[in-house]
Amino acid sequence: MLGDILLITEKHKQAAEIIAAHIINKRKDRMIIAISGESGSGKSELAHAIAKILRKEGIFAKPLHTDNYYKIHPLERREWRLRHGIENVVGYDEYDWEKINQNLDDFRNGRRSEMPCVDLVTEQVDRLITNFGEVDMLLVEGLYAIKSDNVDLRVFIELTYLETKEKHTKDARGKEIMDEARWATLGQEHKMVQALKPRADLLVTKEYAVAKAAIS
Amino acid sequence: MLHDLITITPQHESSAKMVFDKVLELRNGNPRGKMIITISGEVGSGKSTISIVLGRLLTNQGIRAKIIDLDDFYKIPPLERRAWREKHGLQSIGYEEYDWKKVYQNISHFLQNKVCSMPCVDLITNHVDELITDYKGVDLLIINGLYSLKIKEADLKVFIEQSYDKTIEYQHYSLKEKLDSYRLKVLQREHEVVNSLKGLADFFIDFESSLYHL
Repeated sequence: MLGDILLITEKHKQAAEIIAAHIINKRKDRMIIAISGESGSGKSELAHAIAKILRKEGIFAKPLHTDNYYKIHPLERREWRLRHGIENVVGYDEYDWEKINQNLDDFRNGRRSEMPCVDLVTEQVDRLITNFGEVDMLLVEGLYAIKSDNVDLRVFIELTYLETKEKHTKDARGKEIMDEARWATLGQEHKMVQALKPRADLLVTKEYAVAKAAIS
Repeated sequence: MLHDLITITPQHESSAKMVFDKVLELRNGNPRGKMIITISGEVGSGKSTISIVLGRLLTNQGIRAKIIDLDDFYKIPPLERRAWREKHGLQSIGYEEYDWKKVYQNISHFLQNKVCSMPCVDLITNHVDELITDYKGVDLLIINGLYSLKIKEADLKVFIEQSYDKTIEYQHYSLKEKLDSYRLKVLQREHEVVNSLKGLADFFIDFESSLYHL
């Protein structure tokens, strides 16, 4: 994702320290970590902060943003969702899972890989080529990132869009226009994201404390 | 540039708005043509931030702007650069460090509406990825970087004024690179080269004074 604006605060850094320590403890070769949570819950910030800490430990961890993988182009998505009904289409199936799995597989095998990369300024989808051979870990973050089976550790942020409302109302990151359709989309995403919570290994609470998920 | 962290202040917003108004004015005289804008200034002067805010203002007007960061175009990749510079001496620091062939390839592909590839540094891993973009439908190229004023083809050449003290101050709180005596020498050298190009600019932004005037 190009042109994204992150607001990394002390709470992100503190949670990131704990998660990074957990990752190092459970470290394995070519490890994939996934972070999910609702819009505005701080997934990108957390992934960024964790990757920075790992880098200090000599581990090259690359964040991968699943927002890059929507099948419908950013400029057409809103219209497409309205046409098909937000309740019917907003969810996991909007991602190009084939492409995601291909990129995860390329990482597992240390290959060069090509992936989509949204430029938030031009609103175009560029292509990014990276050499996973020189990357040690992958931090996949996005609404439905922990749904992937090809992941070693799953982190779930419990904050919901209703609690991060102020972030949405001000359009601070210039991402989307807030109106009825956008709220309906956030509501539908909320349902889909919360359904993934049982898959989590680590939970980041509403207060941004880190807890191990109960073994179900 | 992937995973850059920027902080937008009201000064960035007002500076970007000034450039934005100037761009609109220039576009009125040249409504259909593609335009190139360069943004230069020292490390920490706000080039990337102003570029992004400007890009978004333009997007809201239906003008598509692609930002390219010349930090991506160094011939020597980030993880090897310090050792390379130490080996070749401070005199090697300057605009010759850029891969100008690639920069100009992007400029010409932009003007011709073609697909082009460019280097793209991931600021977390410091590895260099490759980014492929389609310039078709892109109206404006915003090129930001220390030595972007060297690009004569630009329709508008912006220079952000910043005192050398500010450059050093920024380094203290920025976590990008550790500030040691060698880094200070690099900054001093960059400061000299950037300032030697300043005369090429045609639009100046003075952050500190705009702060007082606001």
